Amino acid sequence: MAPLTFIPRLSGLRAGHAFGFLGAAFILAFGIMVALVALDQQRVLEATARLQEQTVPEIIRYQRLARNLEQLRQEGERVFSAGTPQARQQAMFVVTLVASHPSVLEHKEAADLARQTERFLIDVVRHSARDAQAFAASYDEWQRLAGRLGILVDDVSIQGINLATADLTDVAGAMRLARYKLTAALLVVSLFLVVFLFLVRGHLIHPLQRIDRALSSLSVDRPAPEFRPSAMVEIQVVEEAIGELHASLLENEVARHALEKLANKDGLTGLMNRRHFLQTADTELQRAQRYQRPVTVGMADLDFFKKLNDTYGHAAGDAVLRAFAELANEMLRQSDFVCRYGGEEFAFLFPESTLVEAEKLAERFRARCADYDIRIPDGRLVRVTLSMGLADASACPIEVALRRADEALYMAKRQGRNRIVLADASGTVA
Amino acid sequence: MSEFRRVFASILLLFAASAGLAAGERNLRVAVLDNSPPMAFRDANGELSGFSLGIIRALCEEMRAHCSFQVTTLDRVVDELAAGEYDIAAVSLLDTPERRARIILAKPYFRSISLWFAKPGVLPGQAGIRVAVVRGSAQDRFARAKGWDTVGVQTNGELAEPLNAGLAQAAIIPMSSALNLMKRPEFRQLGLSSSVMPEPELGGDASFGIAPRRPELKEQIDAALERIKRNGTYDRINSQFLPFRVN
Repeated sequence: MAPLTFIPRLSGLRAGHAFGFLGAAFILAFGIMVALVALDQQRVLEATARLQEQTVPEIIRYQRLARNLEQLRQEGERVFSAGTPQARQQAMFVVTLVASHPSVLEHKEAADLARQTERFLIDVVRHSARDAQAFAASYDEWQRLAGRLGILVDDVSIQGINLATADLTDVAGAMRLARYKLTAALLVVSLFLVVFLFLVRGHLIHPLQRIDRALSSLSVDRPAPEFRPSAMVEIQVVEEAIGELHASLLENEVARHALEKLANKDGLTGLMNRRHFLQTADTELQRAQRYQRPVTVGMADLDFFKKLNDTYGHAAGDAVLRAFAELANEMLRQSDFVCRYGGEEFAFLFPESTLVEAEKLAERFRARCADYDIRIPDGRLVRVTLSMGLADASACPIEVALRRADEALYMAKRQGRNRIVLADASGTVA
Repeated sequence: MSEFRRVFASILLLFAASAGLAAGERNLRVAVLDNSPPMAFRDANGELSGFSLGIIRALCEEMRAHCSFQVTTLDRVVDELAAGEYDIAAVSLLDTPERRARIILAKPYFRSISLWFAKPGVLPGQAGIRVAVVRGSAQDRFARAKGWDTVGVQTNGELAEPLNAGLAQAAIIPMSSALNLMKRPEFRQLGLSSSVMPEPELGGDASFGIAPRRPELKEQIDAALERIKRNGTYDRINSQFLPFRVN
């Protein structure tokens, strides 16, 4: 994370815009570089075309001129060395032609020297008609002239070659420049790539990794993940969405608990319903039996409830049931369970209690109930009594224990109601 | 596999045949002179030879064309070329307005000069002399334009005859013909002196002619000429027929 601190802190920048801007700047910079290199390339192409189409023919022309000057020198030599006047005349004629030929005349230096050579040789030939020694007398001077011709031949050759040198220097210069520009272009590309990678790393990859971590550890048991403010709008949006996701997870959890409670409760009394009681009791019995702990179940029934209903109405019956449920919650221990088993019948579970201990508790409850005034909807006060059968559940399934307790309850009803009856261990009622 | 090879071979064959056909189709009719040494003449075996012949043969080879030569004379060649009797006139033609108007001139293949041949003291334009020229030549045109009396001959090879016969006292002779004449003892015995004529219309660029109906040939001939100048063919032909570089 440390290298990212120098990255400019942009805020609220759209990633698309940011990278689009970077890309456009890159294309512009690189395009300019490429155009500059292309210009150099054009220069090279032009120089090589010039070399091909103009310079090479020029060089050939210089070579031909050099050849003609050399020919001039040879023909001059022949004028001096000719054995016959005819041969001398022939050589002299070629001298005239070469000295007058356009290929020689178009080069000033060559034209001057050729003209000078021609005039010198004409003079010598003319003198030789009068003076037989003319050739011998002039030969030294001819040697000097021939020497100058030879040097001019060399000069003209080199002048031709040098034409190519100029073009090649131009080409080399353009190529060197193109190489510098290419290097600069590569540097620009590298620079852009580095900036691009840092931006991607800092503003996309790391936030995405944070988001991944946050999502994989997202749970109602943990607080909502905290994010450092991100520069990229898209990342901000996702991070905010994760916060919202966490909040809705919590809401769902609350709703789930509420639903669960609703599903386990009796609608009228708010006590456990029969299904939930049987589940809970089963779990409790297994635990008690595994650790060989005492546990007792009970079945209770409100005495003469049908009569009460008939006398005071169903609303009164409901009020009595609700009041009984409140009393049961009040009188029983935190660890005891009570449920509305059906109608005016209730089931009880007393964990960690022997039959005798449970009987004490039930007896206290029965006594309290018997003198408990219940206000029914019409304002009158009524009292109800309850009969209850208790059975030991530490060594049998819940269904068997409840059946025994029910048998004990039946016994309590037979014995005159408003009492507690215990079922003994053998299953018979005491 | 053999099926593929057969198909491939037949495609190759077709290709080669069409290429051969295309090359075979290029027949060019070329006008040449045969008595204008050293530019164009018949050698000891009667074969056409010379600088112009060497160049046109090299050009035909460069253009991958089959050239058939037809002998003519300088006074007819421009008319015949303009009439389309040939595709190319492989004859050294100096640039004149009349020629330029009637035929296409290729890129110059050498540069010429013209010489005045006469007894010492007989000067160009002098009254009472007759000047030998080749009919139809730039020299002929020049002399007539000056109002000089001329004696016309058909070919460069015949230029010495009116001088020998005393019909003409002077001649305007192109550089290459002069080189040839100077080698002949009977010509030298005339004791003529020569001087280079400075008029621009008597020297400079000499080109082959192209029929006006074949304008596309100019580009091909010019390119072929450029190639033989670069690859050394031109210089070898130059050395074979002329004592110095004429381009």
